[in-house]
Amino acid sequence: MSNVPSDWEVVIGLEVHVQLHTRAKVFASSPWGFGQEPNEQVDPVVLGLPGTLPVVNREAVEKSILFGLVVGASVPERCAWDRKNYFYPDNPKNYQLTQKDFPVVVGGQVEIELPGASRNVMGEHKFIRIHHAHLEEDVGKLSHAGSGSLVDYNRAGVPLLEIVTEPDLRSAAEAEAFLRSLVAMLTQAGVADCDMEKGQLRCDCNVSVRRRGAEKLGTRTETKNLNSISSVRDTVIYETARQIRELEAGRAITQETRGWNAELARGYVLRDKEDAHDYRYFPDPDIPTLRLSRETVARLAKQVPENLYDRQRRYVEKLGLPYTAASVLVNDRALAEWFEAAVAAHPANPSGIANLVANDLLRDLAASAGAAGAFDEAAPAPVSLASCPIKPAQLAGLVKLTDDGVISKQQAKEVFAEMFKTGQDAAAIVDAKGLRQNSDTGELEKIVQEVIADPAVAKSIAEYRAGNEKAINALKGPIMKRTQGKANPGLIDQLLRKALG
Amino acid sequence: MAVGFDIDHLAKLARLSLTAEEKALYSSQLNQILGHFQALADADLPATIDDARVVDEAALRSDEPGPVLGAEAVTRIAPASRDGQISVPRVVDDEA
Repeated sequence: MSNVPSDWEVVIGLEVHVQLHTRAKVFASSPWGFGQEPNEQVDPVVLGLPGTLPVVNREAVEKSILFGLVVGASVPERCAWDRKNYFYPDNPKNYQLTQKDFPVVVGGQVEIELPGASRNVMGEHKFIRIHHAHLEEDVGKLSHAGSGSLVDYNRAGVPLLEIVTEPDLRSAAEAEAFLRSLVAMLTQAGVADCDMEKGQLRCDCNVSVRRRGAEKLGTRTETKNLNSISSVRDTVIYETARQIRELEAGRAITQETRGWNAELARGYVLRDKEDAHDYRYFPDPDIPTLRLSRETVARLAKQVPENLYDRQRRYVEKLGLPYTAASVLVNDRALAEWFEAAVAAHPANPSGIANLVANDLLRDLAASAGAAGAFDEAAPAPVSLASCPIKPAQLAGLVKLTDDGVISKQQAKEVFAEMFKTGQDAAAIVDAKGLRQNSDTGELEKIVQEVIADPAVAKSIAEYRAGNEKAINALKGPIMKRTQGKANPGLIDQLLRKALG
Repeated sequence: MAVGFDIDHLAKLARLSLTAEEKALYSSQLNQILGHFQALADADLPATIDDARVVDEAALRSDEPGPVLGAEAVTRIAPASRDGQISVPRVVDDEA
């Protein structure tokens, strides 16, 4: 993808803004949600009208702490809010309430997985450190029309967690992997929905380059307001190439704020350092410093789900799943828990269950939902298991019937399709369709003898006896045909080998 | 006591156009104000935390949606509006 010359190294840090999953806004009781008519989700506190007082939403604080616990951060004893002053009409109060010196989350790290050599091979794992995360309010939305701009304050005051990484990322692929991993953690813990089509996750991307081996970081640029994983990836590739080109031509990199035009796939300068905003931060006099109780932290710690890659390692190492199936299952917590419920009902064959879930079930669920991915175009759309017609124990029942040799793997596909359509148990479908395999050894032995006596297969028998293992397959077709496909393939194979000595 | 600041930069941040006389006047006044705070900063006081400004979680609001003003009320307090949105001079922090 990105072609960074080997003597250069790119250094990336991300600031990820995530709208937290709450019903009311962060300092006001106004509800919020996507797709409402403009300015219908605004109250006096959001506008900062005289006489109003912001009060912090408990759920927003707890979701922030939960994020901290998910990434193994320390939760400070106290956190506090500051005013960030600037004049811009997206902001009704002329200041944004944010946290400068005492954020709610300090430290932590996010494990990432880079793409492997192929889909079946696990890529390298790496840890990206989190510097801190602070809880602030989102700002309103501007749209530009002719000579004027229009302002909608529905988004103003929506709880926004800004997650700031250390400059630990070293490629566009790592930035992409980090965002995938972060989104999985946030959604699996119920901290945020991260629907990027609804602007629930936006990114600022800091990029600098330096000669490989150099200690000192190069001058960085910040590209703001990226709203998809592909925009972040493309920005890193573009900015890396631009900076190397400038430096190799003997020009300096200017510390500047940039924008990204996704349609033209190019960046542009918003403002340079001279014009940098001076936000004149000071502690907000309306909101007292908040003491974060250890009881709350302990209670929230119980809500932290199993880490995605811990789960993946467990599936591969303890349950013996192939990496491909494990990596698909762990991306979606509900799907992973569904799979585990099925395994609990039939612990003998986790791989057989995983195979049906990761392939057949996901395919049929996606086809019936028809939803599309949002911020992450490459990832499959999350499927809704709530409307899944098959229950975990029913799928386990199907795998058990196959394992017990009652039906063949081929028949299992047919039964699965019927289960997905009707929600019936596998055994009921097998009986109704008369699919039970013939495992009556005596009867089958007779058929095998008849088939191998047929001169038409003499050549195949000779080839098999001469050492061509595959030649035996030519004998199975006629046997299957004579049993109307009900014979157990494993048993046929066994009986044939015995008969042919 | 002179405290470092750039009156032109401050004026720009505050979106003010100042005459030379105003700049001289405000510089002198700002110097007095900042000098006063410098005197406070220089005072030898024990480090304390303002506990009066620390609250615990009981002071937080529950995540219950409350009433809204409605777009009509919101736009009525603005000088100009259109289609339920507040209308402002064109501000584009964007590619020209």
